[in-house]
Amino acid sequence: MNTQLNRFATLIWLALVILTIGTFLIGEEVSTGKTVMLSVLAIALIKGQLIANYFMGLRHVSWLWRGIILGYFVVVGGMIAIAYLN
Amino acid sequence: MNTNTALVNDTEDLPGDFAIWIFILAEMLVFGVMFIVYAFARSNQIEVFNASQLTLSRAMGTLNTIILITSSYFVVRAVSAIKSGNSRQSAHWLLATIFLGGMFVAVKLWEFSQKYSAGITLETNDFYMFYLTLTFFHLMHVLMGMIILACIVYKLKNGDYSAQEHFGVETGASFWHMVDLLWIVLFPLIYIIR
Repeated sequence: MNTQLNRFATLIWLALVILTIGTFLIGEEVSTGKTVMLSVLAIALIKGQLIANYFMGLRHVSWLWRGIILGYFVVVGGMIAIAYLN
Repeated sequence: MNTNTALVNDTEDLPGDFAIWIFILAEMLVFGVMFIVYAFARSNQIEVFNASQLTLSRAMGTLNTIILITSSYFVVRAVSAIKSGNSRQSAHWLLATIFLGGMFVAVKLWEFSQKYSAGITLETNDFYMFYLTLTFFHLMHVLMGMIILACIVYKLKNGDYSAQEHFGVETGASFWHMVDLLWIVLFPLIYIIR
């Protein structure tokens, strides 16, 4: 069972690396723009969820804790987006 | 005794000590406020922030992100190993994590030295003030995490943890993941979005 969990963790790590390289390429290829900003923030939210749920193990605990982490990314990311859209 | 049982009695307990989760939330709140303050400060000086941000190495920022993500993965493997009762393997994964933490510190110090050589300080402009403060504050958390993990390795080598009792390993792991989680926001905010 542990082997399966380790394989799954490896897949999550791979997804995180791909998303990070995606963020880097967006930064290199595209200079500015609302879509770029929102895309990069959305990627950060996805990465945050992957780390919280699968690396920190929150997918096994009460929804309250998952909600707090998701809420954090939504609120902080949302406020950043509002500041950039101003 | 785990004090969070009442909160999550229908599912599994939070990994590690409940107190570390309160600490994690407090740290995330502090960083969250600083991220938002940065974003609104930028909206008043967009050209200064954009021009200064372009002097940062996005490649080095990306490298450090991959280093931290990989170190978090190693921590997952360390927890998995101790849950299987393999304390030796768990210690090895944590030593690899500490090594990656050292790499992160080295890259960051290289970046700081580049800026220092260019005459950039906290007083150069608001962007650099935020860049230096936020990344230095985060760096302190990386160093703290390395110390915590080193203590856990010491205890693993002493045979203090087992498949049944590995609360301390999970507590240290949760702290390290938080360091990664904060960087996940810090990296695009400071290095990418403009």
